[in-house]
Amino acid sequence: MNSIPATLPEDAPWVVLKFGGTSVSTRPRWDNIASIAASHREAGRRVLIVVSALSGITDMLKGIGEGHADGQRCQELREAIIARHHTLFGELGLPKRNAIDAWLARLDQLLADPRRPSGALPWQAELLALGELSSSTLGALYLNSLGLTTHWLDSRDFFRAEALPNQGDWARWLSASVQVRHDPAITAKLAARGDVFIAQGFIARSGDGATAVLGRGGSDTSAAYFGALLKAEVVEIWTDVPGMFSANPRQVPDARLLSRLDYAEAQEIATTGAKVLHPRCIHPVRDSRVPIRIKDTNRPDLPGTEIVWNTQAGAPSVKAISSRKGITLVSMESISMWQQVGFLADVFEAFKRHGLSVDLIGSAETNVTVSLDPSDNLLNSDVLARLCADLEAFCRVKVIAPCAAITLVGRGMRAMLHRLSAVLAEFGALDVHLISQSSNNLNLTFVIDEGLVDSLIPRLHALLIRAEVMRVDDASVFGPSWSELAHGAAAMRPAAWWRRERKALLELGTGATPCYVYSLDQIREQARGLAALGMVDRWHYALKANPHAQILRTLHAEGFAFECVSWDEVEAVRSTLPTLAAERILFTPNFAPREEYRAALAAGVRVTLDALHPIAEWGADFAGREIFLRVDLGAGRGHHDKVKTGGAQSKFGVSLDEIEAFRAHARRHGTRIVGLHAHLGSGILDAQHWRTVYAQLASLAEPFNRIEVLDLGGGLGVPSRPEDLPLDLDALGAALAEVKQAYPQFQLWMEPGRYLVAEAGVLLARVTQTKRKGDIHYVGIDAGMNSLIRPALYEAWHEIVNLSRLDEAAEDLVQVVGPICETGDVLGNNRRLPGCREGDVILIAEAGAYGAVMASHYNLRKPAAEVCL
Amino acid sequence: MSLNDPRMAKAFRFVRSEYSGGEARLVYAFDDGPELVERIGFPAAPALAPEREAAFAAALELLHLIAGVSYYKAGVPGEIRIESTTIDRITAAFLDDLYLHGLGEFAYTNKLDLRGRIRFPSHAGHPGLRRDDGEMGADSSGVRRAAIGLPRSTLVPIGGGKDSLVSVEILKAAGENATAVWIGNSGLIESCAGRTGLPMLNISRAISPLLFEYNRAGALNGHIPVTAINSAILVVAAILYGHDAIAFSNERSASSATLEYDGMPINHQWSKGWAFERGFRSLIHSHVAADLDYYSLLRPLSELAVASRFAKNNRYDDVFSSCNRNFRILGPKPSDRWCGQCPKCHFVFLALAPFMPKPRLLAIFGRNLLDDPAQIAGFDALLEYRDHKPFECVGEGHESRAAMAELARRAEWREDAIVERFIHEVQPQLGPDERSLEALLQVEGERHLPARLVDALERS
Repeated sequence: MNSIPATLPEDAPWVVLKFGGTSVSTRPRWDNIASIAASHREAGRRVLIVVSALSGITDMLKGIGEGHADGQRCQELREAIIARHHTLFGELGLPKRNAIDAWLARLDQLLADPRRPSGALPWQAELLALGELSSSTLGALYLNSLGLTTHWLDSRDFFRAEALPNQGDWARWLSASVQVRHDPAITAKLAARGDVFIAQGFIARSGDGATAVLGRGGSDTSAAYFGALLKAEVVEIWTDVPGMFSANPRQVPDARLLSRLDYAEAQEIATTGAKVLHPRCIHPVRDSRVPIRIKDTNRPDLPGTEIVWNTQAGAPSVKAISSRKGITLVSMESISMWQQVGFLADVFEAFKRHGLSVDLIGSAETNVTVSLDPSDNLLNSDVLARLCADLEAFCRVKVIAPCAAITLVGRGMRAMLHRLSAVLAEFGALDVHLISQSSNNLNLTFVIDEGLVDSLIPRLHALLIRAEVMRVDDASVFGPSWSELAHGAAAMRPAAWWRRERKALLELGTGATPCYVYSLDQIREQARGLAALGMVDRWHYALKANPHAQILRTLHAEGFAFECVSWDEVEAVRSTLPTLAAERILFTPNFAPREEYRAALAAGVRVTLDALHPIAEWGADFAGREIFLRVDLGAGRGHHDKVKTGGAQSKFGVSLDEIEAFRAHARRHGTRIVGLHAHLGSGILDAQHWRTVYAQLASLAEPFNRIEVLDLGGGLGVPSRPEDLPLDLDALGAALAEVKQAYPQFQLWMEPGRYLVAEAGVLLARVTQTKRKGDIHYVGIDAGMNSLIRPALYEAWHEIVNLSRLDEAAEDLVQVVGPICETGDVLGNNRRLPGCREGDVILIAEAGAYGAVMASHYNLRKPAAEVCL
Repeated sequence: MSLNDPRMAKAFRFVRSEYSGGEARLVYAFDDGPELVERIGFPAAPALAPEREAAFAAALELLHLIAGVSYYKAGVPGEIRIESTTIDRITAAFLDDLYLHGLGEFAYTNKLDLRGRIRFPSHAGHPGLRRDDGEMGADSSGVRRAAIGLPRSTLVPIGGGKDSLVSVEILKAAGENATAVWIGNSGLIESCAGRTGLPMLNISRAISPLLFEYNRAGALNGHIPVTAINSAILVVAAILYGHDAIAFSNERSASSATLEYDGMPINHQWSKGWAFERGFRSLIHSHVAADLDYYSLLRPLSELAVASRFAKNNRYDDVFSSCNRNFRILGPKPSDRWCGQCPKCHFVFLALAPFMPKPRLLAIFGRNLLDDPAQIAGFDALLEYRDHKPFECVGEGHESRAAMAELARRAEWREDAIVERFIHEVQPQLGPDERSLEALLQVEGERHLPARLVDALERS
């Protein structure tokens, strides 16, 4: 940046760049600002940089403002503020500090100001403004020292605060609003002065010429004001995150970066939870149609999120799901409101009198329910009690809290309602307190109990994708997921084993089809991955997933014990592995007849009871025996309703409130409960789930006398859809280790099934016929739901490829169907395959679990045979 | 190792106690079975001053005798044999009382009658814990041990619940020199202790692993008077580190019995009660050190009075928990600290409700227990409506009823399911003799407090 280029033409486009506190606090960050500004300048754009105060400074200034009466505290804060600026000054290696010292001297004047002891609001505003005035001054000195000629502007010369109706004194000075429109005269005047400018975020002039500040998120808003004033080509908000996401990435690692949003959508997402952008900054640019771009300072090459007038997206899509916690609902019920003039006016007058701002509203003939956002006022004063006492004069009032509002955001929401059935079913299982859908057709909000929200959001996000309501395949709207960005290519899944074995599989596929093929090596690999965790004292294979004899032998050789759910499964294990010790078989049946328990006890197999009935009615059978108890911890999890195995709707386990009764029966018969078992579902990809279950089970087991084993069941998920991330075994190990360390007295057992064998099995079939009907293109194969029922039963998604044409482009959108006379005999919906011909070998992946074992002779068609590689 | 069923044992033996390098080892056995060794670790323990050695030895032996209750109860043998020392009649009577009442709930749930079974052997002619090696002891006439020059400083045990945090704030406001102390490994307590801003002391305690083996062999199990054990550990710690007072946070209702069974009152929290406090303090003065004080700062307060004081300060809102479930794995969510199902959760929720803004209380618990019909039975038990008081450290029935009656007057509470039920179903059946909330907030009743703290307590 040594050369000073010639001045840009007067009509060169403007770009406004905004940098927050952390971006202006160190020299490397200022170098980064300089290079971003210079590259815009080199591309022929005039640049206006808007900066926040150094990080932490505004809080310290606020500390002085709020602690105005405490002189000593004010002095301490003053020292810290001055030290921060002097440190950065030194780091930047600047020669003269007159300019910055002038602002710090102003701080001393304000501390000595007679308005200080009373904390007058205009005094506070002027105090707060010092942070930005100082940081922009340091920035201007530094950029100029680098050779980038930069003109310092005082933002107060451009923005004048407007008094709003109902605006209190506090808001007038400390949360001011400005009306800005494009001003060609000012634009031209600045253009005549130079090419690069730096100004302050957050500050403006009050109506009478004093200083006012814009309130929270003020720097974003200032950047937007400048964007509108100059009619900039774009306003770039530089932050520490890649942009706005389809959900909070901390809750949903699979959240997608949103590449493009319209103003209204962005504002809705920002107001309903996302913290990246302050919602107030949308309005100023919307009127002048200046786009906003959110950029990541750490990764400037990422496109970020662009917010524009019109996204011109084809099909409507839910763009984001956001949540806000700490919501309080006030429900008001009265028959007198029916057709009553002025009832709502009275209600809202009460809220206004108590200074409470209402957010969502739901109303019926005799009920009005409103939501209040969390505030310090609500938490630490008796304002709610006083409000309720007032409201009681004209209605029954009920406070419902703590709640969370979950909002789906997307233009054209009402056109998508019919596709939300899976999402609505999820809410149907919960107590929804309020639903709100505004007429701008942008959002759909559900208010539920706060405790439910953390686990619900990731599920809803996945369901929205699965229901194709959130169209993540539309690359013009959705970018990569947070976890992809975080892990880069490392998280990408390795190529499936069957791609390496294509030749052998094609040979098999040209023989007798349909046919299941299992890779025992793949099973060993999965088994060893689990064993390497080290945390689990005994692994069981849940053989209901696939009881093929060679699989049992393979896993036995890998040191696995076995979990059986029927007496016949026990017999199958015993006949396949005659030397296996009986105590390495865990018998965990559900609603099994009495004889099966008796047989298991007689054989010395470990028995798990999952109901009161056996111990209450057949207690004598268990006298003096050691048993495991399967408990139902409540909330079930899993990838489909039918594979959720917890909660009252599920038939598994003893509910928590029946445990004492169970123990009393056990005591009566001298039955020792030595293990607690919980299994909450299948296909769970989130490692934290086991930490929760493990910790719950351990704390439940503590008061028992003789529990030695905690059995967490299985449910280890296998990724199926391309966007699923595999279960993070390291995270699982760490989660288990944490609980194990806290409860070393218990052995830990687990019993995966599907995890071990799903990916190891594929179903080979041959194309029988193809058909076109209207727009729909069918590819018929010789394997149907009688061989693989999971797609029909669980809506399971299996990858399907044409093995004969693996290298050809998959361009046809087809339905892959079987030969069974059932409409539901569809193995794959809307799949992309290369043009399929009769006789092509089709491979259905991840068919090793719950495939052959669930097969039937329906239509008297033989199900697929089984072969091990 | 396969052990004999301790229920078959003839004698429970106090084998010996030892101390070295910051670790106390307390050794017990059933008959000729293996030694059960409990280890108590005192971190960064200073060298013991010579003038405190005798008191320390007495404190260690007292701890040995008291902590034996964890092991004794596994078999409750008919004979108690003390091989490590001889004790006088006062000490024996104190221990008889502690073991009988402290194991009251244990005996009730195991259907045992321990009356007449627990007899600590004393030697009338040899008063004093360690009279055999010729030290000064006390006799039944109440002679006190000598003072040992402990500095003015208070150990305040922290449990992670609201009570000890109220004590901490009272001591801080009174300008007392205090140290927050806790026993065992607990992330929850540690984060509470950290929030107090006081110096911290974490004493470790490891129960003999053989006890778990004995459990497998058929040992009896159940509630033990853990506050007595902790108190005895803190007496050792006070002498070791130099503190002249131990301030517990047990309130008035801890003294009342949970139920009466076969003519014997049973109190779940007997060792938190006044009888234990009084007996233990007097035993320390007479047998350990005259200048070591032991008291409960909150004794003259009801649970509600403690709750009202807790509500004045929100610095512990996101770290404390009184929940009965042992949360060894912490997380940021309220459900990581409050199970919402146990009597403690029910009671603390109810006790705090009259004194803090509803949204704050709901933010602490993460849910509204009083609007959850599934909790009706739990709250009924607290109100002593149709059920006896639960075996938990919870307030007395009339305290719960007074708190509920107050909520019944509040517009923001009275539509909640359980409050509404109270108004329509429980309240009409209550007699006119119910005490008002105001009356329950008075500082009153038995107490033993340093005069300077009485004032601090009144002002708090």
